[in-house]
Amino acid sequence: MEAWRIAILDSFNHFMNRVITFLPNVLAMFTILIGGLLLAWIVKTLLSLFLKAIHFDRVGERWGLSQLLIKGGVDASPSSLVSRLLFWLISLITLTLAINALELTATQKLVAQFFMYLPNLLAALLILIIGYLVALFLSQAVLIAAVNAQLDSAKTLSKAVHWFIMILILTMALYHMGVAEKVLIAAFSILLGGIVLALAISFGWGGREIARDFLEKWAHKKRGKDAGSNDSHHL
Amino acid sequence: MGETAPIEFEGRAAADLLIGVPLYNNAATLGGVLEGIRAGIARRFPQARTVLVCSDGGSMDGSEEVFKNSLDPKLRMAFVSHLVLPVHRILLPYHGLPGKENALKTIFETARKLQVKACAVVDASLSSLNPEWVSLLLGPVLEENFDFIAPRYVRHPFEGTISSGIIYPLQRTLYRKNLRYPIADDFGASEKLIRHLLSRKIAEDENARSNVDLWVTAQVLTGQFKVAQSFLGPHVRNLRSGKGNLGTMFHQDLSTTFRLMEEHQEFWREVKGIQPVVTFGTPEENPPGISFDPERMIANFRLGAKALIEIWRKILSAETARRVEALSRTPENRFSFPPELWVRVIYDFAAGFHWEVVHRDHLLKSMIPLYLGWVASFYRENKDAPVSVVEETVEHLCRVFEDQKPYLLERWEGKGR
Repeated sequence: MEAWRIAILDSFNHFMNRVITFLPNVLAMFTILIGGLLLAWIVKTLLSLFLKAIHFDRVGERWGLSQLLIKGGVDASPSSLVSRLLFWLISLITLTLAINALELTATQKLVAQFFMYLPNLLAALLILIIGYLVALFLSQAVLIAAVNAQLDSAKTLSKAVHWFIMILILTMALYHMGVAEKVLIAAFSILLGGIVLALAISFGWGGREIARDFLEKWAHKKRGKDAGSNDSHHL
Repeated sequence: MGETAPIEFEGRAAADLLIGVPLYNNAATLGGVLEGIRAGIARRFPQARTVLVCSDGGSMDGSEEVFKNSLDPKLRMAFVSHLVLPVHRILLPYHGLPGKENALKTIFETARKLQVKACAVVDASLSSLNPEWVSLLLGPVLEENFDFIAPRYVRHPFEGTISSGIIYPLQRTLYRKNLRYPIADDFGASEKLIRHLLSRKIAEDENARSNVDLWVTAQVLTGQFKVAQSFLGPHVRNLRSGKGNLGTMFHQDLSTTFRLMEEHQEFWREVKGIQPVVTFGTPEENPPGISFDPERMIANFRLGAKALIEIWRKILSAETARRVEALSRTPENRFSFPPELWVRVIYDFAAGFHWEVVHRDHLLKSMIPLYLGWVASFYRENKDAPVSVVEETVEHLCRVFEDQKPYLLERWEGKGR
């Protein structure tokens, strides 16, 4: 009976010891969680105010970000979206740190892996954002230049430039995230090679007449320019 | 190339007149220009102490040899190199003169040092300069105390449609003076104006670097200066630097005009009405016209309306965009760009530039098809009319610009955006 009592008490003491040892970790987790979420909310509010002060939404409108959000069904202004993104990023980091505070072997390993992967994730996100803006700017520049050069295919040309850059940056972003690097490179090479081959075949075979017309028009235009046509009378 | 600095003339300290000739690879025309100036001085100001300064942007076509062959013992003449940065050569302006603002600074600083009473600047690429120009640019400054004499060339209104359809009416509305050629390649200036332009850092100002001719005119019109214009006759230039490209010309002129609107908004938002300027000289009649291909221009406008409408919608007001779209669907035989719509387009683009609703380069370049649509309409409606009637159409357009100024003010303040 005594042995039975000791066994139960030992077990209970052992359990209590473990609870007492673990309790500060739980408290630490809640503290980190509350503090982190509060910090995330403050940062979000301050960033939102700052972005509004520097008219970030107008810049977003100019760069086509607002239109992209509307097209994607996102009912939020660029400034609100950026501040929300930062809120969730800080919240995610907070959650990871909070789990880490429990000092469990499994979660510690997970947290370490997360923090090792985080720079890749951020870099990929940055590549996507910058790439999208570059694609938008260059496709618009191509569209305007093609219209001013009186090319009927201005819109198609502009879309081709847009999608080419988008595919390129998507490949870069996925590569940076370490998603099937070899498959990606192979797929991109095949796609690019395929486009070039398709163009070569269509111009070389299917579009011989069009290519000839195009070259004739170009040569005619060039001769015209060399012969003295100019735009200086506009000024 | 050294720093821009006034030229030292040994022995004699002061002069009465100075004529400056900014140049770059103008050997073909420089001899004729110098000859015209010498003849003009000998005829009109034989007693005046006159200095002639050629400010060169690094010519390599023998312009300096042409200058040396034109030396005249009766005149003080100097050939100096003005500062030209690599960027000046990369972004060569349409007039083909790299670093023109530095050339003007050299000329003006020399004029100030010599305490001249009047200074004229003439373009070295001119093949139409005659000796009378010297009198017409310097005479009103010397004898009637004018501060700025702008050129009034004899040109058909179809020639220079950027000027006739945009720059002239806009500048007239904003700055109240009816200077017919506000892009002043050739002009006369008083000592007072020269001091003012130097004090405004002509060579450092961003707008002066972009288009110094427009910058000078804006400085004059927003200051306290007596302004006039002189009929100079035909304006024929031999541009060795190549033929003008519409995109480049349009971009350089419009970007400077819109930026100057921002710089001087305190001035033009307040002022009202027009103050006609005095015009010297005798007008010549019937300058030769030029022909366009309006069908091609209309096709370009239609292509623009099809492909660029999304960009235009960000710049134009909803009503203007709707009317432009409707115009693009009008059959060719009834195609007509109403002046009031054209003025609203210009004002929307000026306000769009101010608010940067689209990248500024894209905004300006996307405007070209609209401009071509207006030129086609202007040409078709006036091609058989006498010059005086076409000129009256331009004057009517100016009045529409003035009537619509409240719309510009609204858009400039961001209303309807």
